[in-house]
Amino acid sequence: MVKQVPDSQEVVIDPVTMNLNRSLTRNVTNRADENALEAALQIKDRTDAHVTVVSMGPPQAETTMIECLARGADRAILASDRFFGGADTYPTGLTLAATIKAIGKFDIIFAGEETSDSSTGHVGPGVAEFLGIDQITYASKVEYKDGFVTAERELEDGTEVVKVPTPVLVTVLLNSNVPRRQTLRRKIDAIRQGFESWDHDKVGLQPEWVGVRGSPTIVRKMRPIKEKERAAKKVDIAGIPDLVKELYQKGVIKVESD
Amino acid sequence: MAGIKFAAPVADLNEYKNVFVFLETREDKLMRPALEMIGVGKRMAEKVNEKLVCVLLGGDIKDQAKEAVSYGCDIVLGAESPVLSTYRTLPYSHIISDFVRQEKPNIFLIPATRNGRDLASRIAVSCQAGVTADCTELDIEQDTRILSANRPTYGESMLAEILCRKHRPQMATARPGIFPVPERIKSHRGEIRIKEVTVDKSMLKKQVLEFRKKEVVDLTAAKVVVSGGMGLGKPQGFSLIGDLASELDGVVGATRPSVDMGWITRDHQVGQTGQTVRPRLYLAVGISGKIQHIMGMKNSETIVSVNTDPNAEITKYSDYVITEDLYKAVPVLLEEIRKLKKSPPLQVQETSSTPAQ
Ligand SMILES: Cc1cc2nc3c(=O)[nH]c(=O)nc-3n(C[C@H](O)[C@H](O)[C@H](O)COP(=O)(O)OP(=O)(O)OC[C@H]3O[C@@H](n4cnc5c(N)ncnc54)[C@H](O)[C@@H]3O)c2cc1C
Ligand SMILES: Nc1ncnc2c1ncn2[C@@H]1O[C@H](COP(=O)(O)O)[C@@H](O)[C@H]1O
Repeated sequence: MVKQVPDSQEVVIDPVTMNLNRSLTRNVTNRADENALEAALQIKDRTDAHVTVVSMGPPQAETTMIECLARGADRAILASDRFFGGADTYPTGLTLAATIKAIGKFDIIFAGEETSDSSTGHVGPGVAEFLGIDQITYASKVEYKDGFVTAERELEDGTEVVKVPTPVLVTVLLNSNVPRRQTLRRKIDAIRQGFESWDHDKVGLQPEWVGVRGSPTIVRKMRPIKEKERAAKKVDIAGIPDLVKELYQKGVIKVESD
Repeated sequence: MAGIKFAAPVADLNEYKNVFVFLETREDKLMRPALEMIGVGKRMAEKVNEKLVCVLLGGDIKDQAKEAVSYGCDIVLGAESPVLSTYRTLPYSHIISDFVRQEKPNIFLIPATRNGRDLASRIAVSCQAGVTADCTELDIEQDTRILSANRPTYGESMLAEILCRKHRPQMATARPGIFPVPERIKSHRGEIRIKEVTVDKSMLKKQVLEFRKKEVVDLTAAKVVVSGGMGLGKPQGFSLIGDLASELDGVVGATRPSVDMGWITRDHQVGQTGQTVRPRLYLAVGISGKIQHIMGMKNSETIVSVNTDPNAEITKYSDYVITEDLYKAVPVLLEEIRKLKKSPPLQVQETSSTPAQ
């Protein structure tokens, strides 16, 4: 599962509407999703696996689809329909799960740990729940052997090593591998091969189930994050003794342990 | 309850009551984010005269259940089985989704830790609920009992307020380190309902082969954090930072590039992709103040920065700015603090200012 996102380095926000100014923002493939694709391709290198890329997004996600084919994917399907627009994580997962189900049999679904634009990390597990399969999230060092996936999960306080039989959904950590490049040769082949665009009918979902209408949550408003005003009082070397005293008087520096 | 189903709105919103929170544990101990959830959940429950219900799963959870009550939990809804002592997606999400269907909570909060995120979306899909990820502000509207779930977006420059009007429960995952841990009240009374469960084998196919615990510096609980950045110029700079931190009884923090350089380990990183801290004193040494770093420390009570560049972005987030070479300024700071500790001046008149929100 691969998503096209605005390039996070150059996000431009319209000062009037407070919305993302899409016309000024370049689109790229979500970086963790490149790691997800690479994890799939590494399995393909060693087995006779067939790799299909699935995405939900507007027609301009075409460039991401071609890019994935040029990196070595066998097939690319873009679920694209005006009804899919404005989806929160629920209908996004629903649409991707329905698309995957319509494709047919699978052993492993790879996703990124999160997207750079919505950064929820919820879509992967959501798809797994819709499909009724197990999952391994925040994975690095993913290995497949004899119907089992073994991976390391990076948690806040340590590394968990898990082993799960397929079918399973794996979300891959950003930078957990080095995505291969697209070769010019493959790029030409990819453009020639092309990708498939599926609408709600083909995916098998009703218009009111997906996109904004199928979303339990709505954005009520957006506001700029206002920071607490701070004095930024200037201090030079000679002023440090007074600063330390002032901080002590205010209880910021203590002479005894808390 | 898998299946490709759309999210049906609920018929009667009034059927849904109380605030649920999920208490994450490790090796049968409550984790700090669990306590943070109790704090924010309690505040909302009280606001609408409802109960705070804590969901707790594990191998042996009796002590943790009591602990949760002492932090303010009204009801502990527990499931106990030896196979639940380690978190696994399928048994946890099934058991908790069943709790949700039986008990019908209005709100359900889960910490946005890695396992919390692993779990939350499964429950939301299973129960056809709406979920808002990684919230930094949470509130409940008194009359409608609608959850106002606020999360940073667009590279942390904007705050989006997200509502879920017609689906229940209203779920949210909450960013660790943002919400304060509540005071413990030993006399607080609560009801503990723990049932022993048997878990179907089909849900236990995932084997957890090992857990390699790493020593983590818990920056989130520190009262003083002294952080170093690229301005240190070399790995040895962190020993100076370490000296200052230990003199102040604090811990060492770092920016991401200084971690990437290998000057210090990742568990010291503060910021969007590191830890979120809110100490009494944050000292930023040789740090430019890019938004991804600011995110993780802006709620500190007092912020002091040391930077040669008077126009560095960190300036506007600082209460005090030492515009000097850190290799000159930090030794003076050290010396002055040592002097102060030897002969503290007359008694402090005022105690610490009120903590940031
Ligand atoms: C998706 C994403 C996530 C990120 N997450 C994080 C995160 O969690 N945490 C984080 O910290 N960063 C994060 N970053 C990186 C962040 O954008 C900045 O690059 C980083 O915070 C800058 O680190 P720095 O201040 O150490 O380095 P610099 O920006 O290079 O700043 C060094 C500063 O030191 C000053 N200086 C130089 N020499 C001296 C001296 N002798 N004495 C005093 N001052 C001196 C300079 O004036 C300068 O201001 C993230 C970036 C991205 C894109
Ligand atoms: N519209 C989409 N199309 C394809 N994959 C997606 C889409 N949205 C999310 N994903 C996948 O789900 C992961 C987590 O996304 P998120 O929950 O938005 O952080 C991403 O890294 C992708 O692999």
